[in-house]
This record gives sequence, C-alpha cells and structure tokens, in this order.
Amino acid sequence: MAKKPTLDLTKYVRFYEQMVYIREFEELIGKEWNNAAAHGMGGYMHLYSGEEAIAVGLIGGMDLAAGDCFIGHYRDHGYALAAGSDPGEVMAEICGKATGCSKGKGGSMHICDAARGFYGGYGIVGGNVPIALGLGWALKYRNQKNVCACFFGDGSMNQGAFHETLNMAQLYKVPVIFALENNGYAMGTSIERSHANQNLRSRVDSFAMRSVTINGQDIFEVHEQMAQIIQEMKEDPHPVFVEFKTYRYHGHGAADTPVTQSTYRTRDEVARAKDQLDPIKFAQEKLLELGVLTDELIADMQARAYASAEAAMKFSDDSPYPDPSELIKDVYA
Amino acid sequence: MARLRYADAITSALREEMLADDRVFIAGEEVGQYLGTLGVTSGFLKEFGPMRVVDTPISEVGILGLGIGSAMAGLRPVCEMMRMDFAMVAYDQVINHAAKIRYMFGGQFKVPMVIRGPSGVGRQLSAQHSQSLEVLFAHVPGLKVVMPATPADMKGLLKTAMRDDNPVIVMEALRLYFEKPDVLDAILPGLSEVPDDPDFTVPFGKANVLRAGTDVTLIGYSTMTIQCLKAANILAQEGISAEVVDLRTLLPLDMATPIASIKKTHRAVVVQEQWGLYGCAAEISAQIAERAFYDLDAPVQRVTGAFVPMPFARNLENISFPSEHDIVIAAKRTLGR
Repeated sequence: MAKKPTLDLTKYVRFYEQMVYIREFEELIGKEWNNAAAHGMGGYMHLYSGEEAIAVGLIGGMDLAAGDCFIGHYRDHGYALAAGSDPGEVMAEICGKATGCSKGKGGSMHICDAARGFYGGYGIVGGNVPIALGLGWALKYRNQKNVCACFFGDGSMNQGAFHETLNMAQLYKVPVIFALENNGYAMGTSIERSHANQNLRSRVDSFAMRSVTINGQDIFEVHEQMAQIIQEMKEDPHPVFVEFKTYRYHGHGAADTPVTQSTYRTRDEVARAKDQLDPIKFAQEKLLELGVLTDELIADMQARAYASAEAAMKFSDDSPYPDPSELIKDVYA
Repeated sequence: MARLRYADAITSALREEMLADDRVFIAGEEVGQYLGTLGVTSGFLKEFGPMRVVDTPISEVGILGLGIGSAMAGLRPVCEMMRMDFAMVAYDQVINHAAKIRYMFGGQFKVPMVIRGPSGVGRQLSAQHSQSLEVLFAHVPGLKVVMPATPADMKGLLKTAMRDDNPVIVMEALRLYFEKPDVLDAILPGLSEVPDDPDFTVPFGKANVLRAGTDVTLIGYSTMTIQCLKAANILAQEGISAEVVDLRTLLPLDMATPIASIKKTHRAVVVQEQWGLYGCAAEISAQIAERAFYDLDAPVQRVTGAFVPMPFARNLENISFPSEHDIVIAAKRTLGR
C-alpha cells in the first residue's frame, strides 16, 4: 500500500490513534471486570480487541455529519468510539449509569448515538440485519446520497433473517454495506462446525449481490477499499456484502473464560493471532516505515489513550445510577 | 356520514393518511400489483407508485425489518401481514426489536410503525390462518394493540395508529371485513356509519359504550363486540337490559369505562374470541375483581373460544368461538336465571 502516492497519511495516523483508544478502552474494561460490581458492570461483556481496524476503517470512510449511518450488534463499544461518541457516556452505559448514552437502561450491548447516526447495538444474533434494510430504504426513499453500514458476525449468517434481508436489499437496491466481521467463531462454534459452505462470501452469491473480501486486520486495505465502495454506492445506490476476515482476542463475552475457551480454541491460536494478525501492530509498522509515526509519538498516543479510558471510567464511577423513577420512563414515545 | 364495510374503512384510513403524509408507505405481500389479497389497497400502486406501495417477497422478517429501520429513520411505515398468523414468522422483530428499541436506547429513538392485517376466525381457513393472537402482543410493553369492532372504529383507530409514534399492532377482524352495512345496522342502528371528516380519528385507550343497559355489562372487543350486541338484542326480548362495552384497544387498556358500567349493573360477562387460558378476558376479569369486587352481585363470567387449534370443518369451526347464545347464557347466569 505504501507505493500508493494518494494515501492520506495524516488520516491513517488518526485511525491508528483511534484503534489504540478503542484497545485501551476495552482492555481497561477487561482488567476492571475483576472488580465489575463496584463499577456497576455486570451481565454480558463483549470486547472488540483485535477487530478495531474494521470499525475505524469503515466508519472512518463514512460522512456521519452528512447523513451516513450504521447499526451494530452487541460487540458495540468500538463502533461508538470510532464514530466519535463521548467515551465517558459509553463507559457510563457499560456501567449502567444515568449519564450513559442509553441512560443506563441498555448496558454494554445497547450502546447508541443518534446524533452520530449510530442506530444502536443489538443483542439478538442477526436481528439487527433486517433493520438495516429499513435504514437503507429510508435513505433511498428520500433520495439521499448516503449509505448505511450494518455490522454482524459469522453467526448471523446462519439466521433466516440474514437471508431474507439480503434478498430484499438486492431486490430494492438499497445502499447498505453488509459488513461481516468473520472472526471464525459464533460464540464457541467455529465456522467449520456451523457453515455447510465455509466460503462465507460465496453464500451471498445466490442473491447476485456485489461482494468483496477484505483483510480486516489491515486498516489501509479496509479503509481504501471501503472509501471507494462507499463513493460508488453514493453515485449508484446498491447493497454490498463485505467479508472482513478478523480475529477476536477475548472470549465471546465475559462469561467465556479461558476454561470455556479451551473447548474451541487453543491458547497458542490466540497468541499467534495477537502476534501475527494484530491490526494496531500492523498499522504501527507501516506508519513507522512511512516515517509518519515515531516511537515517541506512539508512546505518547498510548499514554493518552490509557488516560482517556481511565477518565471515562472515572466519569462513570462519579456518575449516579438511574433514578428509580426512570424504571417506567421511555417505554413509549 | 357514510355507511361503510369494515374493509372499506381500512382502505379509507390508509388512503387518507398516505395523501396527508408523504412519509407513510405500505409494504407487504401482494399489496401492489395484485391489488391486495383482500383488496384493501386496490389502486394504491397506481396512485402512489412503487416506493410507497411496496410489493415484498414472502419474507415477514424482512418486511418488519424494513418497517422498523425506516421508522427509526423518520418514515411512517405500514407493514401488512397477509394474515396476522404470519407475524409469528417475524415475532423476534416485533417483540425483541420494535417493542424494545425506545426503552433500551434510553429514548434516543422512536419506532412509529403500524403492523396490521386480518386476524381471528375467518371462514374455513383452519388452524394456521384463523388465530386471534392478540394476547401475544398485548403482553409486551412497548407495543400498542388495537382491535376495532365497527367500521368507524376501524377507520378512526387505524388513522390514530398511523399518527402514533410507537409500534402499533392493528388486528383487523377478518370475519367482519365484508359484512354488509345493512347487516351491521340491523344489529344496532347506525353501526356501519363512518364520519366523512378526514380529521376523524378515535383515540387509543377509550372504551366505548355501544349500547346502554342496566342489568348486566357485556365486555368485548373486535368480533366479540358484535356478538355481545347480538346477545343484548336477544336478552332485551327477554326483558334483560344489557350494556355493551367495546374495549377498542387492549394496549392501552381502558378499565375505567367497563368498571363504571359494572358499578351500575353489578354484573359482568367478558368475551374473547379464542383461547381463554391466560387470555385477555382473564386479565380484564382480574382487574374487575381487584377494582370492583364489592360492586359485583355475581361472579364475573368469561366466555371464550374452545382451547383447540381451529378446525376446518364448518360445523366444528362454528362451535369453536363464542356465539351470541353462549353470551346470553353467561349473562343469565349472572342474574341467577
């Protein structure tokens, strides 16, 4: 990619920094999980570490201020941070605080940011995919030159909702990016054990939909390709299926401990991925090579990212829990 | 005043709201080119075009996703289920998504959509096309559930549903769709009359006393309101004055109106078209017991459908749901007769 003269390196330094922010944010949660109750954390906790380049590169290619939008699943902290949501409000939501983006009523799985076009994270595997059809339909209905991105995992592709949606999306030519984050496992069930056809991208060929496979660990490839695709979608509305190959470092959720993880993957496999597939490491090496990052800058960014995550946690810790009167509010508009 | 059939009232409400608000569109199976399975959207495709009258594949999950997402983005979709039974294919979209989105995102979004379609017992449509599944929706916070009995309410409540900022389930009584105005008016004078005013709407959560009486209160909704009116006619011939309360909407539920009636009559019969076990009639009876126990002169009676999947054979179908005679018997029981 270095040979491309058009690469906007300032942008990639920013993307690198965003990935580091997300990583530090998630790792702090992972660390503080040992002390979860004191922070207000509980229930499930799905961390995004290892997959950062997808959210940063794709969301970074959209114009949220001009009406582009996106929808996610329950591993959703990174989407909000990539979109520029306030880390304190995201952390406060994760901790069930009144200052959370969803007033503490959604929790980790239901982060959202209407002002930034983030239509939320959803907890039913595949359930968010049909909603993206409607978001894309609204763009087309109003003749907006915008796109909608829908994030989902490989597990979603085995839900009927996915197949109904892709058929209709192609039929109606809605401008939706169906962004598959293929991390190889639907909770503890591998692709091999759950997809009769393990070439996931080929599974959508039956819908005659445009598709592409992207190395989700390479921020340059993610962003350059997505920026081009988004531009084409805005000129001529149509859906695109994108398979991002990626890997998640943590268990499926907080309840997926090293012991349960040992039922489906080895520690070596995880260690190898962290060593060889890390999106931050990959970007760092490239940017160092290109001379736009220095060890000093990296250390500085990491320190600021850690401080930002700590500040978010402090903001959350200092925030009150929702008032009991909130229990019955917001059921109806 | 126009004298309309129930189905015509649906068409009238949809058309008026589509003319008034270009954010409204209809999506469903056979709503456009085929002119609507039951004809209620006949001519709509030609009048409003394919972006506003959207023919869909047989994909209920996709249809409701189309509705939820576009509603969150500011449109006002009307999703037609060819039969409300088919909504079961997409129950997840209704219960886990449409109903929850406002609350679980702390009020950041609203989902102003209508999910409507024919419901309940039809004519020999058997087990998978004859269910009245309102209980499954009325149990869930975040939804509103509307079950009109008369052409005027069908129009007025559907229009209110289309203007509401929440997901509203409108369950239309298939058995009433094509009932002729003369037949309705013979049951109760003026029953088929619908105001011409395009601003006519019927608010949610306001039950309607369709017939005043002093001896017993008959409480119904949808088809069972009509059965209650027929029963009241029979009871009148025997010198019993029955008051008929039509609930109109199950969620929100107006209990003040039926309870005010019971304070006058001291007797109540609650009627539900299908399965009584854990049903709406059970809920209403419980609320009467909680709020008006000392006003009652007799135990509340429930009249509900047989606890069976709907049979095909006409004679079995006819005895599967409450008849006016079943209601008459229950009413007399409250009077010790």
